[in-house]
Amino acid sequence: MSEPLALKIQEETVPLPYEVLFNEVPCYISIQDREYRILKTNRRFRESFGSKQGSYCYQIYKDRQEKCPVCPVEKTFIDGQSHMSEETWTRQDGSLVQVIVYTTPIYNDEHEIIAVMEMSTDITEVKHLQTKLRASQERLAYLFEEVPCYISIQDKNFRIVRANRKFKEDFGDQVGDYCFSVYKHRDEECLNCPVAATFSDGQVHTSEEVVTSKSGESIHVLVSTAPIRNAHGEITRVMEMSTNITEIRRLQSQLESLGMLVGSISHGIKGLLTGLDGGAYFMKSGLEKDEMERVRKGWAIMERNISKIRSMVLDVLYYAKDREPVWESVQPRELAESVAKILDSKAEKLGIAFRKNLEEEMRPFDGDAKALHSMLVNVLENSFDACRTDKVKPDHAVHFRVWETMEHVFFEIQDNGIGMDQETREKLFCMFFSSKGMEGTGLGLFVANKIVTKHGGKISVESSLGKGSRFLIRIPITKQ
Amino acid sequence: MSKGRILVIDDEPDIVDFLTTLFRDHGFETLSAYDGEAGMELARQYAPDLITLDITMPKKSGVAVFRDLRSDPKLSRVPVYIITGVNEFRQLVYSRSSLPPEGYMEKPIDPEALLRDIETILKNH
Repeated sequence: MSEPLALKIQEETVPLPYEVLFNEVPCYISIQDREYRILKTNRRFRESFGSKQGSYCYQIYKDRQEKCPVCPVEKTFIDGQSHMSEETWTRQDGSLVQVIVYTTPIYNDEHEIIAVMEMSTDITEVKHLQTKLRASQERLAYLFEEVPCYISIQDKNFRIVRANRKFKEDFGDQVGDYCFSVYKHRDEECLNCPVAATFSDGQVHTSEEVVTSKSGESIHVLVSTAPIRNAHGEITRVMEMSTNITEIRRLQSQLESLGMLVGSISHGIKGLLTGLDGGAYFMKSGLEKDEMERVRKGWAIMERNISKIRSMVLDVLYYAKDREPVWESVQPRELAESVAKILDSKAEKLGIAFRKNLEEEMRPFDGDAKALHSMLVNVLENSFDACRTDKVKPDHAVHFRVWETMEHVFFEIQDNGIGMDQETREKLFCMFFSSKGMEGTGLGLFVANKIVTKHGGKISVESSLGKGSRFLIRIPITKQ
Repeated sequence: MSKGRILVIDDEPDIVDFLTTLFRDHGFETLSAYDGEAGMELARQYAPDLITLDITMPKKSGVAVFRDLRSDPKLSRVPVYIITGVNEFRQLVYSRSSLPPEGYMEKPIDPEALLRDIETILKNH
């Protein structure tokens, strides 16, 4: 191009081939002088902003009376470089358009910048989408954080790479730690891990787990896992979403318990009624035959069964509501002796040695004598049962010791019966957990534990399978 | 003259006492066992005319005793009368391929009905 460009711009008479391109390109193009005056525009520009040749750029775009504080055209005039900026302009119809502006210098033959070409692309739609995307990302983040479940995102090694607010609240900010260590305090991955299953087959997996919160509370959760894939479709992360169902499980188990309670009571009552029928038969036939011995025997059977019914009803009452202890002053030795008396005949019948070691001088303590009585009978009967069912050792003994310290009275019941494995030991005080098959109602030790707890005391258990068990019951001397 | 020998197997001593006295009062001879194993031993030793059997017992359950009785060539024909507090076990006992028990009663025990049943069983046997 030998002719000076500036001249050609001003001429604007003969359309040159590049002019076609200049006009039809889908951008706004304008050429401006040092004063930011519009020298030339393309068709698209004119359509949107009118043919205002000679007007100032800032007037046309922004309806300003002076130059904009930051201007890419100015920068190009100064340094001869291309510049870019994002602007919002007003079209002649008053609508706003968001543009991305590029500027480029136009030189004369002396290599002086005589004009700047400004080329602007309409990015209104992109901006709009960007805003929508940001909003939906924010919504997603909000959902992730605020959803009332525990959400964690884990890598292939079960490391937590992200966790939501609820998760952090209950399990601590454990990002970077292993899932199994956070949830279960384990040193290695769990068996049947749903996250591992999702990593291997890409499917959604669910499972129910019991996890431990940072405060040590057991939480039942329903876990669902879903794969997170990268652009190549490979699973790089797995999202684990866990719903806390502790309360549901608790209610469910209470309902189940009620059902079982009804079953176990009706079973128990049938047995006791049979006993009463037996007693009644002895008494009736004894009276008919005038045999006092029969009458006495019948009466003893009746009494035994009546007392069993009484303790069963008390157990049920203890279960059915939080029965508060009826406080009185209890003599530990008297209590222990009356309990031992009941078990003496059982011991004799079963051929189990029953050794008692009751401290002579003990202070009275605050307690509910009836409840404690039934609690001790319960624990002792368990020990006798543990001996009775042990077929390995030739001789069995149950030791019953009672002593006091400054603050507590202690009842210790030790046997060399079948003993318990860890599972039995852990579930020992759970309602309706019975290791005795149809023999047990599963209420006894549950209620025993409840009674001791109501007294502010504690039952501790040591046991090993095949060797025997030791129950230590500690009750405060003074009511708390 | 005895009307027959009945073996009572039940882990609850009061019930054993009750049943043996009831049977003796009505002209039967009785034997008693407090668990399944002892019951099997007495059955083998004395070949009773009828056995009353509790189901839930320690050591050996009534279901196991019943199975052993039915598979013992010498005892398989001895009538068995189940007396139980657990009705679910009815299904268990009756669903076995061996001959069903000759009698069944759920606790509590109706003494007159029990005696009537037993006399009928022994008469027809």
